[in-house]
Amino acid sequence: MYADNLYSWALFKTSSKETAEDLVQETFMAAFQNFGKFKGESNSKTWLFAILNNKISDYHRNHYCNPTIAERKQSESWKDVSNDVFFDSIGQWREDQRPFDWPLGAEEYLDNDEFNRVLLHCMGKLPANWCSALQLKYLEEKKGEIICQELDLSPTNFWQILHRAKLQLRKCLEINWFKS
Amino acid sequence: MRKFMNRWILSCKKATELMEKRLLMDLSWKERLLLFMHTSMCDVCRIYKQQSKWLDEVLFRHFNDQNDKKITFIENDDLKKRIISNF
Repeated sequence: MYADNLYSWALFKTSSKETAEDLVQETFMAAFQNFGKFKGESNSKTWLFAILNNKISDYHRNHYCNPTIAERKQSESWKDVSNDVFFDSIGQWREDQRPFDWPLGAEEYLDNDEFNRVLLHCMGKLPANWCSALQLKYLEEKKGEIICQELDLSPTNFWQILHRAKLQLRKCLEINWFKS
Repeated sequence: MRKFMNRWILSCKKATELMEKRLLMDLSWKERLLLFMHTSMCDVCRIYKQQSKWLDEVLFRHFNDQNDKKITFIENDDLKKRIISNF
């Protein structure tokens, strides 16, 4: 059985112990029920991961639509202030918020455990439904319009959420990685 | 003059928004022109643009690399027992 591999992966993707356990259980149930459809073309591990990944996407989709009340409050309070943190009243960068030049190079950072830890920490600080929007955007590299339909969100709302999420992430990485 | 400025000069906030919008959908010719004018004048937004692209790549790879070594392997015997008891 690959329960531990599946569980670790689900935990990594959802950052919730209970959710990860539920998803893995559901994966095995779905696999059991649909075993007839499994033709042995791929190996069973790949097949189980494919089911699990679908379940993870579903989870983020539902999670976006039904954020818990606490999360909703959190994301609404961010809505009011988030832009003002970075820009002044006429929309120019605030002096202390201006991005400064970083050495870029995705390859080398992603191999660095410490960097990955900081990245996870920064994503954890985003409101959960923003994080879900990011996951849907990057997990499947879907077209924006399709995600908007799935989340029942206007395209304008969607890219504004991404804009704010990226501003926050950028700032958090700058403080916690590039400056320290 | 003020009216003209409002129509033809983007603020940094608006410019960075358009950069993100562009990743999802096509911009109108006017938006493209305004964004081009802004980024050719504004150093800070040019840096933001590079970093936004970089962040895209980092996030894409972060979510898509099924690289086992990045994920801490966790054993969960409780869960296994529960799954088995369900069958």
